[in-house]
Amino acid sequence: MSYKIPMGPYHPALEEPYKLDLVCTGETVSEAKLNVGFNFRNMEHLAEARNHIQVIALMERVCGICSNVHTQTLCQAMEGLTGLTPPPRAMYIRTIMDELERLHSHTLWAGVAAKLMGFKTMFMHCFELREAVMDILQAISGNRVNYSMNRIGGVNRDIEDPAAILRMVEAVEKEMARTIVPIFTTSTTARYRCAGVGVLSHEKAVAVGVVGPNARASGVAQDIRRAAPYAAYEEMEFDVPVQTSGDVSARVLVRALEILESCRILRQALSKLPPGEIHTEGEKFQFITGTSVSRTEGPRGEAIYSVSWKEGSKYPARLHVRTPTYATMPAVRYMVMGARLADTPLIQASIDPCYSCTDR
Amino acid sequence: MSAIDNIPQKLGISDPWVQQGGVYWLVSNSLNIRAIAAVMGECHARLVTITAFQLPEQGFRLDYHWDLEGKLMGFSFQLAGNSIESIYDLCEAADWIEREIHDHYAVEFLGRECEPLLLRTGDTLGANLREETK
Repeated sequence: MSYKIPMGPYHPALEEPYKLDLVCTGETVSEAKLNVGFNFRNMEHLAEARNHIQVIALMERVCGICSNVHTQTLCQAMEGLTGLTPPPRAMYIRTIMDELERLHSHTLWAGVAAKLMGFKTMFMHCFELREAVMDILQAISGNRVNYSMNRIGGVNRDIEDPAAILRMVEAVEKEMARTIVPIFTTSTTARYRCAGVGVLSHEKAVAVGVVGPNARASGVAQDIRRAAPYAAYEEMEFDVPVQTSGDVSARVLVRALEILESCRILRQALSKLPPGEIHTEGEKFQFITGTSVSRTEGPRGEAIYSVSWKEGSKYPARLHVRTPTYATMPAVRYMVMGARLADTPLIQASIDPCYSCTDR
Repeated sequence: MSAIDNIPQKLGISDPWVQQGGVYWLVSNSLNIRAIAAVMGECHARLVTITAFQLPEQGFRLDYHWDLEGKLMGFSFQLAGNSIESIYDLCEAADWIEREIHDHYAVEFLGRECEPLLLRTGDTLGANLREETK
């Protein structure tokens, strides 16, 4: 006999409002329907009444975790319409902020995932490490979230003492390599709780258009940092971890390995930070009529901005953003089908969903 | 030779790609969105997004973007009215994207059901981004 179970929009397993209507046969989920939009803010419309400075502050609020990715992608698109090119030092600082944000996002997610696995000690440890990452972000930007680092033609704040930041990064890396990475990759608790759970096949990941670590956990080897490099990524050496099993375990493993790769990129960028200006101050610019599209690889995958402007206008004619979770979330339906009801909180958390991004 | 070079030929189009604003655009009067979606599926390209624009006089423009090996392709369609054929049956990734455009602009995607609304409550279409309902 089938019965329906609504999960959300407000549920202990969810960080933000979202609703999953589940149809179960016994303990097994046979169908699932997703409902989003509980926090819809219509930011694309709001952007049409913001100038080129205000719109950056607005779009920084799309997401509380990957805010830097949003402003950077937006600025890259606007730079395409103004002809401004950020100086090399700004490109490196953008890369550093991107990777610190990835570390912040992945440790936050690791904590939430640990909690849902019933691994409470690990949850506390992940959040302690996340605090250390946020301390680094604060040391650079002055802010723990919403860093206000990006502007058209560069960044707002310099990294005056990269050696000091490097020491902080190395301390965090050492602790992550000692705890989070081995525990998530080798612990029996984590393996038994996650292996074979919430499988997303390679074919479905491609069909649904899943992006980021979730796609890479299903064998889709795509990473915009590698495929279409931006900022200073072309000068960085790093690997793109890919797994093929498509289950929660693979998604855990990909993110754990990405933590190490982010630390590797940070070490390179901080060691090679080129001298010079951090923005094109004083360089006059004006928007040309047209549309510019820009992409970045955020912690949850590809973010894309399409910005249209009319020459002489104060405001964008159109601003469209497709966030990573928006592309990935429809795949949750396939992940939970055939799963045990008790596993659905862990499965939906395993994609590291951002409902704020989805609703924007 | 990159993977996107064969696509115009597969679509039966002789026009070359035009690189502009970070995108490889294929501009031709003989583009058909369902034929494009089918070819993209064959090539294992990924639908990235569809951006809708309301045109100043009347109608809409829809820019479809696919990614293939890191190259972003663009196909632009001008709608004289407010409808276009859906590609949802050929490309599952279009599901929420088409529904959201239907929410915001009241554009009809022929051959599929777009309601209930994806992001908003209520049943008023085009309330957010369509000029005449602002």
